Amino acid sequence: MSENYEQEIETFIQQVFEQNYEELRLESGQAVAPDVRQTALNQVLFYWRKLRAIAEGVTDTEVHLSLPQQETPGGREYAIEGVVDILREAGRTVMYDIKTHDADYARANLKFYEQQLNVYAHIWQELRQQELDEMAVIATDYPEAVKEALASGDLAHLAYALDQWEPVVPIAYDPHRVQATIAEFGAVVDCIEENRFNPRSVQDLNTVLPGTRSIRFATRVCRNCDARYSCAAYRQYAWQPGYRGVAESKLRHIYGEELADAVQEQWRTAGLDAAPDDSGLRADY
Amino acid sequence: MTDFQQHLQIITRRVLSLERLWELARFQPNDAQREAIIHVDGPLYLTAGPGSGKTRVLLWRALNLIVFHEVLPGEVFLSTFTEKAAHQLQEGLQSLLGLVTNLTGRPYDLTPMYIGTVHSLCRRMLSDRRRFSVDRQRHRPPTLLDELDQYFHLARNRTWTEVRQCAGLEGDANGIINGIFGVRSESRHVAVTNCLALFNRFSEECLDSDHALYRLDNDASSLRNYLQTWNLDREGLSLLVRLYAAYRESLRTGNGVEQTDFALSQQEAYRIVETCTGSDQVFRHVIVDEYQDTNTIQERLFFKLAAGTGNLCVVGDDDQALYRFRGATVENFVEFPARCHTYLGRAPRRLSLEINYRSQERIVDFYTAFMQQANWAKSDGQDGFYRVMDKDLVAHRQSPLPAVVASTPAEPTDVCAEIATLVRRLLDEGKVGDPNQIAFLFPSLKYRGAMLDSVRRVKEALEAVGLRVYAPRAGRFLEVDEAYDLIGLFVHIFGYPPRADLRGHDYQAYMEWLQSAEAQGEALMHSDPLLDGYVKERRAELVRVAQDYRALLRTAESHHWDLRAPYDPDRMKRPLYNAHGYSDEGKRLLASTYLDRVVRERTAKGQPFTLGYILKRVTSIDWNVLDLFYRLCGFEHFKRMFDLAERAEDEGPVTNLGLISQYLARFMEQRVPIITADLLVDKLFQKLFFGSYLFALYRRGETEMEDADDPFPKGRIPFLTIHQAKGLEFPVVVLANPRKDDRGPQRVELLMRPFLEREPGEPLERLAEFDMMRMFYVALSRAKNLLVIAHYKGKGQRINAPFITLLDAGFPRIPTFNLNALPAAQEKDEALPKIYSFTADYLTYKKCPRQYMIFRGFGFVPARSQTMFFGSLVHRTLEDLHHELIRRRESHE
Repeated sequence: MSENYEQEIETFIQQVFEQNYEELRLESGQAVAPDVRQTALNQVLFYWRKLRAIAEGVTDTEVHLSLPQQETPGGREYAIEGVVDILREAGRTVMYDIKTHDADYARANLKFYEQQLNVYAHIWQELRQQELDEMAVIATDYPEAVKEALASGDLAHLAYALDQWEPVVPIAYDPHRVQATIAEFGAVVDCIEENRFNPRSVQDLNTVLPGTRSIRFATRVCRNCDARYSCAAYRQYAWQPGYRGVAESKLRHIYGEELADAVQEQWRTAGLDAAPDDSGLRADY
Repeated sequence: MTDFQQHLQIITRRVLSLERLWELARFQPNDAQREAIIHVDGPLYLTAGPGSGKTRVLLWRALNLIVFHEVLPGEVFLSTFTEKAAHQLQEGLQSLLGLVTNLTGRPYDLTPMYIGTVHSLCRRMLSDRRRFSVDRQRHRPPTLLDELDQYFHLARNRTWTEVRQCAGLEGDANGIINGIFGVRSESRHVAVTNCLALFNRFSEECLDSDHALYRLDNDASSLRNYLQTWNLDREGLSLLVRLYAAYRESLRTGNGVEQTDFALSQQEAYRIVETCTGSDQVFRHVIVDEYQDTNTIQERLFFKLAAGTGNLCVVGDDDQALYRFRGATVENFVEFPARCHTYLGRAPRRLSLEINYRSQERIVDFYTAFMQQANWAKSDGQDGFYRVMDKDLVAHRQSPLPAVVASTPAEPTDVCAEIATLVRRLLDEGKVGDPNQIAFLFPSLKYRGAMLDSVRRVKEALEAVGLRVYAPRAGRFLEVDEAYDLIGLFVHIFGYPPRADLRGHDYQAYMEWLQSAEAQGEALMHSDPLLDGYVKERRAELVRVAQDYRALLRTAESHHWDLRAPYDPDRMKRPLYNAHGYSDEGKRLLASTYLDRVVRERTAKGQPFTLGYILKRVTSIDWNVLDLFYRLCGFEHFKRMFDLAERAEDEGPVTNLGLISQYLARFMEQRVPIITADLLVDKLFQKLFFGSYLFALYRRGETEMEDADDPFPKGRIPFLTIHQAKGLEFPVVVLANPRKDDRGPQRVELLMRPFLEREPGEPLERLAEFDMMRMFYVALSRAKNLLVIAHYKGKGQRINAPFITLLDAGFPRIPTFNLNALPAAQEKDEALPKIYSFTADYLTYKKCPRQYMIFRGFGFVPARSQTMFFGSLVHRTLEDLHHELIRRRESHE
């Protein structure tokens, strides 16, 4: 196939991307900043450029897998559902789960991905009696090196960085874990049905996330959660260790947390882009 | 069908039978259910009494078609009354099909299946380029306005003025319009509300305005007589039709994009089916649930879709028809056999689900007897009935024990106290596990937005015995405590809107509401010094950015810079930075290196920012209304509410906070996504938020709780309208007001009749009685174990005639009722198994149970959901890419 073909597909990606963006913007009434939007587009484009063999080999996309008739320890019937992409080629079947995470993070947190894909594999192999040779997570968030290359505008540099990037994280098949995972899943269903909704412990919040040098759970998860201000665990986390301020400065400590300038500026751009024309607003109300 | 599919089919049949699946799923259908499930050829007319296992029949019918009759999921059209019902059916079907897959290895993908409300299915047809497009292009369907959007569209100055002018009205003619509706009011809000109710009805009846006007001008004596009988005016009717035409025009042209509303989108879908060849073959099976509540355009659409196959299955119960006021015509169901003859040229198979699995025998007997109290025979010498008569309901739960009990006939206060004591005992003696299993049902909960006295009495009686109620539709949503709290603090932060030049009752009442909210906000600030300090700082921040904006404007003016001209940093940045009175915080934004970079990029692309944009940007607040909401939620008063929900003690307050977050999100989406100082300097923000948006919510008595969310918050007794209780069931039901007065036919009905292009159906003078009967029937049939009826007596009190007859001297009364014999309520055991997603449920819960509860459980809207937006964008595009590559490969092969 020709270069022409590659270009055609890239044009196609750009077109559907624009359509999807507009649809989502209408559905949600929100917008994202142009650079965030560009990042989203790049993730798809780089997936295509880097993993063309996989993209072209996918035979079934968005396959719904279901594990019905499970019973929780508390005796509730439920079903587990998941969505994957399947590639079948030359007698080989591979299951992919595409995530917008970064690959290093995925490698460091293999446990979760292993749990998930092994349950899916169980459904696929044991229940559906279908072949499965490999499983992998595809992490579409490209690494710093690619971002730097993009910023430099140097095409050779970009090609090199893309070449070095390893977005595919293979997952080992381990049928022994499946039952344990399903049991854990069932326990979670019971917790949900029994309204058990305590936040994570302060200790958990302090944990440095695997795959990161110093990012704590609280920084990655809680700082992105609007409900943190009213969360007992987060407040305790933020005021320790030995945070002795009086109530008022304690409060400032949480409420004054500032987002990185770039994030805040992107948010401003998106907000202004989504804002209706104010002469219209003035005339109408 | 390909050979491969046929092959699969044979294997499936060999290893599996429907009976085997029933066994595995522990389902034992009765004879009628079985017949309904296996009927696959030709129209089916299925009457289904309350609690007769209709949902299971629908589920297994779809499954039977898909698994054993070579019907692809995409060839099934299944319409339900609510999205929730559709969702449940889909989950149940997915789960059963998963079972089949695991037995046969044959996978099923339900995504192509058309399952949802008529509205959502119509919407889907409009964008289904593969099956319903003449030219195979991807069509962008017009933007859909929901009810609140529709109101905001017509009520906005620009549209409303234009529409009135188009209809030939001079000046401020709201009074004239309201007069036609029989209301004396000059209010735009009242006129818009009345008009929309009628317009939706016009759309549902497919009114052609030119034709309607022609008829008005040229019609015969029958019209004259009608107008005279009901005291209507020809000119008034003509004006309404012209307003309707103008409204439709405003949707086409207003706002730059084409828009539509719920009612019109059905017409558009019908038109597509009409023009697109082969569209009557797209679905091999059309199944419609709750058929008694469908309207004219929907009926036409269903018959059209089924015209090619004749496979139209309608399921419903005319006795439970509730939605005449929304254009539903119960005749669609009652007269279905005749309509089948007309449209399909054949008679439907009639089946009746008559075994009730829900209620105790005495309850079934009671509501059956209730329905027989009215005379349903057709008048004017016609044969037949306005009701499907040959239904014979039988209770599966046979038991001679009393299960229906009335209060002692007495004054309302005594009746309420007696009932409250009974409820207290039910809880104390463990007959129900949680207050949310006892529903109090009312014909209506409020009038003009305020809670009715008859409802308040009951609420107070329950509170007197230490019980709390959850009444999302009683009174205005804005009158829940949490709304006072939060909006009160918003008033302290943003300040009042400038006093509008509005008089009228509504505005006065709203301003009083706003003042009470302010007082409540003040009380909260007084009791929490930290909150007080926080609110004052926010207020100071708003004052500061407004000053900054003025300072920058003065600088721009002194240099004679045009705000619409491109921003030139080389020339403008320094003078702006040094503007007299410009704050340090503001300067930081102007000096941002990020901004510099974006400005350069835009200039390089030939799309430079305007100076006006820059001024807005560097004086914008770095929180939006939802950020503010969540921060306020961190203060003790609100935090306690979250704690209560975490401990599963009381979910009421947090449920309300979740709704408030949704309203704030809508305001952000449509009006102010980011607060900029230019909106603050002349109080435009305050006008938009308090003066326009909240005022509209207040007047409409808006609640989003159209479909009750079951289960209801734990720890509280739900107070529901009977309409809201449709499709639900409760261990104990209290019919707390068995009174619905006959106020004659509704105005919209009277105004619509002269234009009907079909048989008018039930006579106008009997509508109120029939509707009353059906409504109470729905209420009575919600109860599983116990049905309690309030029996009011005394001055000014009455209950409707059928109750007077039925609640006779020998009827069981509360004081002598033996609670011991009552079975204890079970946890819902017949519930369809729920589906849990590995990522959206399991992993999200594992990440943080509290976050899961708040956002997935109570529907709070995140203030900044860019991550979600981003993920959906990437995934949708990847999916499209894969489809495209598969398509190319297949066409290549």
